[in-house]
Amino acid sequence: MNNLGLAAGGARLRALGTAFMVLAAMSSLGRAADDYQLGPDSQRQADVPEGTVTQAKWTSKVFDGTERDYWVYVPKQYDKAKPACVMVFQDGGSYVDKSKDFRVPIVFDNLIHKQQMPVTIGIFINPGVIPPAKPEEKPRPNRSFEYDTPSPQYADFLLKEILPEVGKSYNLTKKPEERAICGISSGGICAWTVAWERPEAFRKVLSHVGSFTNIRGGHVYPSLIRKTERKPIRVFLQDGSGDLDNLHGNWPLANQEMASALKFAGYDYRFEYGDGGHNGKHGGSLLPDSLRWLWSDVPATPAAK
Amino acid sequence: MSRFLVMTVLLLVGSTCLSAQEMALRDVLIDGEGWQMVAQGFTFTEGPAVDLQGNLYFTDVFGSKIHRINAQGKAEVFVDQSFGTNGLIFGPDGRLYGCQNGKKRIVAYDAAGESKTIAEDVQSNDLVVTRTGAIYFTDPENHQIWYISPQGEKRVVDRGLGYPNGLKLWADQGTLVVADMKTDHLFAFRVEADGSLKFKQPYYTLRLPPGKTESGADGMTIDSAGRIYVATQLGLQFFDPQGRLCGVINKPQNAWLSNAVFAGKDLDTLYVTCMNKVYKRKVKAQGIRYFDVSPGK
Repeated sequence: MNNLGLAAGGARLRALGTAFMVLAAMSSLGRAADDYQLGPDSQRQADVPEGTVTQAKWTSKVFDGTERDYWVYVPKQYDKAKPACVMVFQDGGSYVDKSKDFRVPIVFDNLIHKQQMPVTIGIFINPGVIPPAKPEEKPRPNRSFEYDTPSPQYADFLLKEILPEVGKSYNLTKKPEERAICGISSGGICAWTVAWERPEAFRKVLSHVGSFTNIRGGHVYPSLIRKTERKPIRVFLQDGSGDLDNLHGNWPLANQEMASALKFAGYDYRFEYGDGGHNGKHGGSLLPDSLRWLWSDVPATPAAK
Repeated sequence: MSRFLVMTVLLLVGSTCLSAQEMALRDVLIDGEGWQMVAQGFTFTEGPAVDLQGNLYFTDVFGSKIHRINAQGKAEVFVDQSFGTNGLIFGPDGRLYGCQNGKKRIVAYDAAGESKTIAEDVQSNDLVVTRTGAIYFTDPENHQIWYISPQGEKRVVDRGLGYPNGLKLWADQGTLVVADMKTDHLFAFRVEADGSLKFKQPYYTLRLPPGKTESGADGMTIDSAGRIYVATQLGLQFFDPQGRLCGVINKPQNAWLSNAVFAGKDLDTLYVTCMNKVYKRKVKAQGIRYFDVSPGK
């Protein structure tokens, strides 16, 4: 995920040149492509109560031998007497980071405070890694296996391991329409796969620059969607014309194929197609709006018991 | 100002590279460089192996000989009676290790082609020798993988694959990859300090021929970028270190593709064994020998 190392050495000079060109283009043409800004709902606001974020580690049996970090966000408004809605994030360390594109805890604080989305516990999970037996050896990275494989295994991992574990500490909803899942790139197709495989458990999907391409066979979803009886999934897709075109496929075309198939099959969906690249800038700027839309069918203030 | 620019650069680079490095066909193949036949006239070629100088050795399983390509580029006999030896690989001691299945043993050949027995009463297909001289070999008929310690003690370390065939270690030797010919997967295992295998996972998914459920995955090789190449019925399929299929290189002829290795002085020529013939092509990728790679690389 982190490619900052690319800027090292000789590449730094070339990158500096590129940066000059980009800056020049931005100043001469007005709004440049992929120039998305965060709005006030993505900024810390005075008088909005802050939820808590706690970090934990998990060793999996479903993905045998993998270890990973995850974080749990609990809004200030959480009441253990009422089941909270749940939203799971792939590449959780990035989504939970309050300085990056998505800064979900800040957005959740603001929207929950304004009652524009229900009281929701966020679970931010990093992809697994099988650590080496000896320190001088390399770990086996499991991100692509977990996220890109169109199978029920990642849903099983959530339902058999993570949700029961978090459920020991918090009162989590069991209603599928109150469970959402979100991810970027391979994490985006993973979110779709979880709901597609287990719609009785997850019915809300948010995908940022989703990899609906042939990394591990996930390019088949548009045709599957068209010829499979509609599943009760509400889905928000974001992509941009500057997204990837590589050996695995063409991301802009794949996301348009997904949107077209969802429309054909009568899904409750939204597709935001901008001019961004393979990053979280557009998705981050849209996050408050996408969450308002995704959660608009769940009352933000459930009736007291 | 300069700090701002560096920050901008870091943000640009960091935010545009969500996926790891792409490893497409064009990063391996050279335009205009196709397969060239190196040698022919065999029955079933297998076990391509590269020595310290970059020379190619291979076996003719049914012809029961081991051959090598000499300095003039011609095949010559290295072992005249190999008892159906199949998989071959050079070990850190410079000897050529082989699966001598006709005698149900694992052997090591010295430079003169004289063999010493390493293990007896075992069926085998292919093998790898680690940096420390330990051996893993596949036993397809009995659906198992064996380990021979550097001290020569052998034991079964995995059971249950349909037809375990080719196998290779990652360069750091912490992960073993085994082809299961009867499925569409290569399985990854973590190599434990005592040689046992843990956390078996169908990490690599192979492309299948139309209408088939078996890949026919056979021998494998690995390059310095961590790509795994596996001979299959569809061609030579290769994967990046995250297990993603990156390309399928066409077979040189419409016949059983059994195995591959990088050889030549700079290990930048890809050799394949394909039924009665051996072929090569120059590529952009570079092979590795386990005993050349120091720990931590």
